Amino acid sequence: MMYRNDFASGRSCWKPSLVAMLLTLLLGFSLSAMVQAAQDTGGESVAQRIAPVGQVWVEGEPAPETEPVAEVATEEAPVYVAPRPTRKDYPDIGVSSRAVVWILAQMHLFFGALVLAVPLFVLIIELVGQSTGDERYDDMAHEFMKISLTGFSITAIFGGTLALALFVLYPDFMGYMMRVFGAQWIVYAGLFFLESFFLYTYYYGWNAMRYGNLKWLHLTLGLLLNGAGMTIMVMANSWATFMMAPSGVNEVGAIVGNIWEVMKGPLWNPVNLHRFIANIAFGGAVVGAYAAFKFLSTRDPAKRAHYDWMGYTSNFIALLAFLPLPFAGYWLMAEIYAYSQQMGITAMGGILAWLFIVQAVLIGTILLAANYYLWAGMSRTEGSSRYQWLIKYIALILVVCFLIWVTPHTLLLSATEIAALGGSHHHYLGPLGIMPAKNIAVNLMLIVTFLSFQLYRRSDKVATVSWAPAGNALLVAIYVVAIVNVIFLGVYFGYFTNTVYKVGSSVAQVASTLVVIIAGIVIDSLMFRGARTLPSHWGRIPDRAQYALFALPIAFTWLMGLMGYVRSSVKTHWHVYTVMQDNSPDNFIPTIGYAGNMITIVTVLFLLFVLFMFWIANLGSSRQPVPVRAAAMEGVA
Amino acid sequence: MQRGMVVAATVMAFVVVLAAFYGLDHFVMSIQGLPLNMDLSPAQ
Repeated sequence: MMYRNDFASGRSCWKPSLVAMLLTLLLGFSLSAMVQAAQDTGGESVAQRIAPVGQVWVEGEPAPETEPVAEVATEEAPVYVAPRPTRKDYPDIGVSSRAVVWILAQMHLFFGALVLAVPLFVLIIELVGQSTGDERYDDMAHEFMKISLTGFSITAIFGGTLALALFVLYPDFMGYMMRVFGAQWIVYAGLFFLESFFLYTYYYGWNAMRYGNLKWLHLTLGLLLNGAGMTIMVMANSWATFMMAPSGVNEVGAIVGNIWEVMKGPLWNPVNLHRFIANIAFGGAVVGAYAAFKFLSTRDPAKRAHYDWMGYTSNFIALLAFLPLPFAGYWLMAEIYAYSQQMGITAMGGILAWLFIVQAVLIGTILLAANYYLWAGMSRTEGSSRYQWLIKYIALILVVCFLIWVTPHTLLLSATEIAALGGSHHHYLGPLGIMPAKNIAVNLMLIVTFLSFQLYRRSDKVATVSWAPAGNALLVAIYVVAIVNVIFLGVYFGYFTNTVYKVGSSVAQVASTLVVIIAGIVIDSLMFRGARTLPSHWGRIPDRAQYALFALPIAFTWLMGLMGYVRSSVKTHWHVYTVMQDNSPDNFIPTIGYAGNMITIVTVLFLLFVLFMFWIANLGSSRQPVPVRAAAMEGVA
Repeated sequence: MQRGMVVAATVMAFVVVLAAFYGLDHFVMSIQGLPLNMDLSPAQ
C-alpha cells in the first residue's frame, strides 16, 4: 500500500528511466540497419549518391559527356541492376493484376491512415483531459480508440494480402525492391510488434492507469504507440517515393548508396508531411461520422449531448488539419516539378489534370459541409446571434470560389462547339481556368472557413478585456487586407507579369492566409482570456447537421483515392521511374472513366468496412437482456 | 470606448496591417530571389 501511495504521488523516479529505455529500444531498432548500411559509402559523396538519375540533353546542343555505365560495375563483384522483365514474366491470373493490387493497396492505405491518425489526436485529447482535470475528455479519447481498434486488424489483413498479391503478381519488381531496401523490411515488420504491444497496453490499460503518475505512464504508452506508427508510415512512404523519384541507385538501378540515401529521395519529406496532415483530417472525419451515427440513433438527451460534443470535436480536428493541407500539397507538387518537369506536366497538364477538377469538387464539398456544420452548431448558444448576419457573405464567397475552382482550362469540345464558342477557351471564363484564379479561390475559401470557425468559437463568449474593441478592429483589418492582398497577388502577378513571379506570388498568398489563421488564434486567445461565458446547450443542433458529418468522410475517402491514384500514375510506364520499366499488360494510364470507377469501388468498399467497424464498436457495449423465462425461474428459486 | 476612439483604432489598425502585409509581400518574394520595386512591380 505504501508503495502504491509513493507511486501515485510522483516521488518515484521510474518514469524517466522507463521512457528513456523504451525510446532507446524503438530508435535503436529502427536505426541499426541504417547505420550498418551507412558504413559502405562506395567512395562517392552524398550529393552524388542521392542525385536524380538520368541526364538532360537539350535538342540542338551537343550531347553531355557521360561516363560509360559499365564502369560502375567492378570486375570482381557483378553489380545487381534493376531487372528487365518481359510480358511473360508477369503471371496472368485472368483479371487485371493492377486492379487487384489497386483495391488491396488503397484499402490498406485507407485503414492505415485511419489507425495512424486516431491515436495522434487521442493522445492530445487525453493530455487536454489530464491538464484540465475534465474526465469527459478522457472518456471521449477512450471512445475514439474503441472505434479504431477494429481498424488495426483490418489494416493488417489488407497489408498482408497486399504483400502476397505483390509477390505473386509482380515477382521481379518485388525482388528488386527487397534487394534495394534490404534489412529495412525486417525493421518494418519488427515495428508492427512494437506497435501492437503499445496499442493493446494503451487501450486495455486505459482505466487501470487513469490517475496520478500512472496516467503519465499511460500517456507515455500513447506517445510510443504514435512513435511506432509514424515510423511505420515514413518507412512505407519511402517505398512509394523511391518508385516515383529513385535515389541511392544509378541509371541502371544498381545500388550505389546506403539505405538512408535510398529512403531520402527528393519527394520523401513532402509526401511524409502531406500524408501526416491528411491522415489526421481523414481520421477526424471518420470518427465524426461515428458520433453523428450515435447522435441520430438515440433520443436520450444526455447521450445526444455527449455525441454532439464528440461530433463537434471530430469536425474541429478534421478542419484544423485540413486548413494547411493544400499548402502541403502545393509543396509536394512543386517538388515533383523540380524533380521532373515531365512528371509534373503529366500530373497537372496532361490526362491526369482533369482529376484535379474532380479534386476541386470534392474539396469544395468538404469545405461547404464543414462550414455548414459550424453554422448549424452556432444554434447551441444564444450568443451566436451577434455573428449570424455574416454567414450569408461567407456562403457567397465559398460558392463563388468553388465555381472558380471547378472551372476547367481546356474543354473537351466538338468542332461545332468550338465554332460557337469562338475558340477553345471561353472569352470570359477562360482566365478562370488557370492557376492564378484557382490560387485566389482556394486561399479565400480557407480564410472564410477559418472565419466560420472563429465565429463559432466566439459565439458563447463575451470579451471582458478593455482593449476588446481595438482587438476586433485589428482582426477586421487583418481579414480585409489579407483578402485584398490575396486577390491583388493573384491578379497582378498571375496575369500581368512573367511566370516566375506568378509562381512566387502564390507563396505570398499562402503566407497571407497563414497570417490570418495565426493572428486570429493569437488575438482571440488573448482577448477571451477570462471572458464571460454564455450558456451552451450540447445536443441542441438540427439533425440535418449530422449529415454534414457523414458527407465529410465520404468526400475525404474519395479524395484520397483520387489523389493517391494521381500520385501513383505519374510514373506512367515505370515501376521505378526511369530505372525499372513496367512491361505488364497494364503499363498504361487508364481512361478517366475506368479510374473513376475503380476509385468509387474502393471508396464504397471502405465505407462498408467502416460501417462494420462502427457495428463492432457498438456490439462491444451491448448486453443481451436476461431471457424472461430464465428470469422467472430465478425469481421462483 | 467612445465612438471616436473606435474609429481611430480602426483606422490605425488598417494602417498598421497594410504596412505589415506590404512588408510581407516584399519579404516573401525577396527570399525566393524575386525582388519587388516600391510599387510592388517586379524589380527584375
